[in-house]
Amino acid sequence: MLITRRGAMLASAATLVGAAPLARPALAQSGPILIGWLAALTGPSSAPAIGFDRGVKFAVEEINTAGGVKGRRIEIVTRDTQGDPTKAVNAAQDMISRQKVNAIWGPTNSGEALATTAVMARAKMPNIHPCVVDSLIDPAKYPNAFRVAPSNGQWDAAVRNYCENVLKVKDVAVVGDTTGYGASAVAASVAAFRKEGANVAYQTQIDATQPDVTPDMLRMRNAGAKVIVVWSVSTGMEARLMNVRAALGWDVPIVGHPALGSGDVRQLLENERNWEKVYMIGYASCSYDANGKLPPRTAAFVARLAGKVALDDTSLWWVASGYDAVKLVAEAVDATGSSASDAIIGYWNSLRAYPGIFGAYTWTPEQHNGFPTSEVVMSQANSQKDGAFKLAPGYA
Amino acid sequence: MLSSILSTGFAIGAIYALIAVTYNVMFSASRVMSFTAGQVGMLGGVFGAWFILRLHLPIVVGFPLTLLACAGIGVLTEIVAVRPVIAGLEKHLYVLSTLALALMMQQFTAIEWSTEPQPFPRIVGRGFGLDEKFWLPLLACAAVILGLELLYRRTLVGRAFLAIAEDNYAASALGLPVRDLRMASFALAGAIAGLAGFAGGELLLASIANGPMLNFYGFVPVALGGLGNNRGAIAGGLLLGLFQQAANFLVGGVLVSVAVFSAFIVVLMAAPQGLFGAPPTRRV
Repeated sequence: MLITRRGAMLASAATLVGAAPLARPALAQSGPILIGWLAALTGPSSAPAIGFDRGVKFAVEEINTAGGVKGRRIEIVTRDTQGDPTKAVNAAQDMISRQKVNAIWGPTNSGEALATTAVMARAKMPNIHPCVVDSLIDPAKYPNAFRVAPSNGQWDAAVRNYCENVLKVKDVAVVGDTTGYGASAVAASVAAFRKEGANVAYQTQIDATQPDVTPDMLRMRNAGAKVIVVWSVSTGMEARLMNVRAALGWDVPIVGHPALGSGDVRQLLENERNWEKVYMIGYASCSYDANGKLPPRTAAFVARLAGKVALDDTSLWWVASGYDAVKLVAEAVDATGSSASDAIIGYWNSLRAYPGIFGAYTWTPEQHNGFPTSEVVMSQANSQKDGAFKLAPGYA
Repeated sequence: MLSSILSTGFAIGAIYALIAVTYNVMFSASRVMSFTAGQVGMLGGVFGAWFILRLHLPIVVGFPLTLLACAGIGVLTEIVAVRPVIAGLEKHLYVLSTLALALMMQQFTAIEWSTEPQPFPRIVGRGFGLDEKFWLPLLACAAVILGLELLYRRTLVGRAFLAIAEDNYAASALGLPVRDLRMASFALAGAIAGLAGFAGGELLLASIANGPMLNFYGFVPVALGGLGNNRGAIAGGLLLGLFQQAANFLVGGVLVSVAVFSAFIVVLMAAPQGLFGAPPTRRV
């Protein structure tokens, strides 16, 4: 037989690949439980990952202090992806091939997740992430990927429900920015409103740098819009919409993306009153009721965080979600006695209303969107306190 | 509607015009189109907000510091992105070097400042019937026109600038310090861009997103007005601002930029040298 250099290399690679699963269980089942954490801790868009990271560290400390999982400590392998999909892919590959982690949490933004999801699927790596783009979850293509936060579709449903059933309005204006996200979110929202019989009086995309949105607001008003639905992460554009609404003396509610409640919006308002009647997507688990109380499970969690984790400069749901992610891996190992990927994925597929802090997660082999739509609510955008918001009017 | 078109249109047009003048001042001294112009304009807003709102410096200190910082970035542009490639001007390497520097400015600002728009301070606090965010850019534009006219027509340094713009080699042969004059031109251009960003800060906010936007829309008046023609750039900038704001009212949404660039292409097809540029001449 002719031995070529290429053939020898292929044979060596095949031997290594074949040997890896044989060697791994012996090492993996006795040592610490390794969780890869793909975190955009620096650079643009780092705020969510910094919040998630606080929850991750708190969960690890809590579990390890209590003796670990069946005597095994949890160790986090963190890689700062800086929000860069290329860095995220390299980090995921490193975690899979070199660090041999048992599961990966993250990445935490959709741009990175679109790049890493297929990489992790090829390696059958158990993966939990909070990214909203609908196509990231597909149990047929990515049986290893599970979502612990709502999808775009769930956000959209919550906004429509609030406009149609709580505010009782049928004439809507749908506004987005000119990014890819803005375009797709506006298109999806308009189609869904129309399907439900609402009248989309006006739809538009506004350049986030446009200094004056008066023309757009006038067109919405003249078209007869009774509510403005906003799909954008651009806090500048959102603040301008609110300022112009006040200048026009137009008492129309603004409903939409969680960025409407960002602290950056507050800084750009000409008057804090301009932030009234603005309702953003929020979560029942992280919202204050009419008496200013959080749900009991969340309140107990916040009490445990007191003095250890700062909440005044982040969102409570980020911290809660990071905490839940680590707990979900730990619970899987605890329940199955194994940290093998098949065991973890199998356990997650069997979860029914698992009582996390952020949500009650349900996953099946056919549905990996684990966050219940009923827990996606609307919050008062101007009510942030310690990372949580008040429920918008209309919720019991 | 008309008042909004005029007030916002002229204000944003004045900012575009100043960025166009920035392009021209750098081009005149070096024959290089430096794509850092819009980014330095963006930094004018960011530095202004940083000095005044974050460091709590008085406006009379924060404003000159902003101009100084932007002038310094102009000099840095000349040293880092222009000087190394100026010998091979015909290879157009400056496109790459100035774009790379512009990208670095953008990324550095995103990391050190914020990716979100930040508030810009009120400068005067009085409207005189029209909010200051609308007339400050116009005032800045008028000051720059007047200043440049005085500089170029009444001072020796200004005449030296014109000399190197006219013929670099002849100016060098006459003993003019061409490199120093080029650096001074880039410092002046940086200060003008910084002034554009500072005067337009209340309208545009202190945001990194303004960099690419100003780079793009600031270049249109250069082409409209004729390369190197400051008066043309000012007129082109103001016209662009008015047209853009009118398009915001008439068509809105993503169609605004389509309308602006359609008009731009039509104008260039009708007058390739720009509305105010002289037709090319050839020595025989």
